[in-house]
Amino acid sequence: MASVRFDNVTKKFGEFVAVANFNIEIRDKEFLVLLGPSGCGKTTTMRMVAGLEEATSGDIYIDADRVNDVLPKYRDVAMVFQSYALYPHLTVEDNIGYPLKIRKVPPEEYTRRVAEVARRVELETMLKRLPKELSGGQRQRVALARAIVRTPRVFLMDEPLSNLDAKLRTQMRAELKHLQHELQVTTIYVTHDQIEAMTLAHRVAVMNKGVIEQLGTPREIYNDPRTLFVAGFIGSPSMNLIPGEVKDGVFASAGLRVGGAGRFNIPRAVLGVRPEDIHVASAEDPDTNLVAPIYSVELTGENTLVSLQLGGQLLAVRADKNFSGQIDQRVAVRIARDRMFLFDAETERRVDIQSNS
Amino acid sequence: MATIRTRNRSREMLLRFAAYLTILVALILTLFPVYWIAANSFKFDIDIFAVPPEWLPRNPTLKHYDEAFVQRPFLRYALNSFLVAIGTTAISVTFGTMAGYALARFRYPWQWRKQISFWILSTRMMPPIVSIIPLYLFFNYFDMLNTKSALIIAYTAFNLPFATWMMKSYFQDLPVELEEAAIVDGDTRWGAFLHVALPLARPGLAATAIFCLIISWNEFLLSLIVTLTEQSQTLPIGIAGRVTQYATYWGEISAAGFMACVPIVIFAFIVQKHLVRGLSLGAVKG
Repeated sequence: MASVRFDNVTKKFGEFVAVANFNIEIRDKEFLVLLGPSGCGKTTTMRMVAGLEEATSGDIYIDADRVNDVLPKYRDVAMVFQSYALYPHLTVEDNIGYPLKIRKVPPEEYTRRVAEVARRVELETMLKRLPKELSGGQRQRVALARAIVRTPRVFLMDEPLSNLDAKLRTQMRAELKHLQHELQVTTIYVTHDQIEAMTLAHRVAVMNKGVIEQLGTPREIYNDPRTLFVAGFIGSPSMNLIPGEVKDGVFASAGLRVGGAGRFNIPRAVLGVRPEDIHVASAEDPDTNLVAPIYSVELTGENTLVSLQLGGQLLAVRADKNFSGQIDQRVAVRIARDRMFLFDAETERRVDIQSNS
Repeated sequence: MATIRTRNRSREMLLRFAAYLTILVALILTLFPVYWIAANSFKFDIDIFAVPPEWLPRNPTLKHYDEAFVQRPFLRYALNSFLVAIGTTAISVTFGTMAGYALARFRYPWQWRKQISFWILSTRMMPPIVSIIPLYLFFNYFDMLNTKSALIIAYTAFNLPFATWMMKSYFQDLPVELEEAAIVDGDTRWGAFLHVALPLARPGLAATAIFCLIISWNEFLLSLIVTLTEQSQTLPIGIAGRVTQYATYWGEISAAGFMACVPIVIFAFIVQKHLVRGLSLGAVKG
């Protein structure tokens, strides 16, 4: 059980800055997800905790111990690799028991613990097999078992679900969450999949270009994005981001005018609104913001995703599952004013319109 | 409607036949000399040059084997060859593996990985004969002429660059995550090398070992210059020695030459099963 702290950590590969001035404290027993696109430095950050990469500057602490110069074997962390990294020449049993063998755990305890963990991940019948004889999901569970066979101070998971098919991924996601709750071990989890981040995390750190864009609970990240990047990255389908101009609190772009932006004047602004916060209305409704032709209609089952042609871009609207519009038909929509965000395109930061109106 | 080409059975048969024919020609080209040596080793001298050729010995005899291995010291030569080859192979594979691993895995400032690798290989870019006189003087100075150690040292020097490069490429093919996983699991770097990288590089070790063994088993020129005594000379020198001023003893040469092939073939059979690649399949990716 441990906390992990990054204190002004920077990691450079040659001239390339992978992680810049990174500060975060991961609390004891917390499930923290590092979320970001590939190349944003999230995996590098995790590898620095494992000791597989050295920080160029700054300090990394596990509990009160500064671990910058501590060899990986003394850090007592366990890691699940994206590729699983199972030892191909060892059986499932030897794979799971490897960390115990290295620590010279006595044979009776070794057998007992391996059997116990194998039961937990439902691999007890597979112990004598080689990794190549397992399915993807089983390999994933071996990797997980190898991590939990000892009780490390910190779990590190590098996109552990990304090689699984969609159905298995959903199932393993729930299992992972349950497991972490049961074991109560501090976990750092790297992913580029925002659904995984939202569902698993206690807190999410959204990273971009080596810096944290925003750190908060999944709910905060979703409901209260601080930057244009976070707004665009979180949510599926992603938030509509419409470039335009704000004059005296009224946002205007080609074909769209929305008031309610206080008394702001922003020459280059971006309006952000999630598809579920745009509602189909009737053309007579005085609150209608926009009437536009339908570009496509996609029924997802629980609702209908409607794309509207708005100037040069598409506006995604999440409509009722009984929505019956056809392509090219014009529909009127209303934007929920209290659920829209305004960003300054220069700084890419959000402009707080709610408190200023 | 577009024309659809259907399977043409006779065409497929023809292609297959052509493939087998090519293989047959290649086999004849490579195996005929071996067969001819073997056949000659069992013939009387007069039959070796019989016209038309005697494809199978009509009066088989072990006379030449007796001459070579009982009356002449070819057993001694074979033992020398064996010791030199084993010594060379053991040292080359051991150091080649460690050097190859270091070149494949460790971090180097600037372009040093490339530079060092190239430098190692460049030692083999001159013909070995160029180094023979310096080597002779060197061994003379250290009083090592006519010793097997001299041959082992010289052969290791020739083999090590290749062994290093071969092992380097094998290690580079192994996913680095496996060793990282071992390190995070609590192993040391050395432990990860020993427990994970080395077992997975077994095909590479086998290939490198065969390579070193064949090179030193067959080496002729250096051994000819550096060794003059029965206690130190190797098989190729012994065999060449049967071409004398007065006669060429084809029978003995054939018998010794045929026997010289045997150990290598046996060794190749032993390590063959380790040569099978693909052990690391299934390690990465689901």
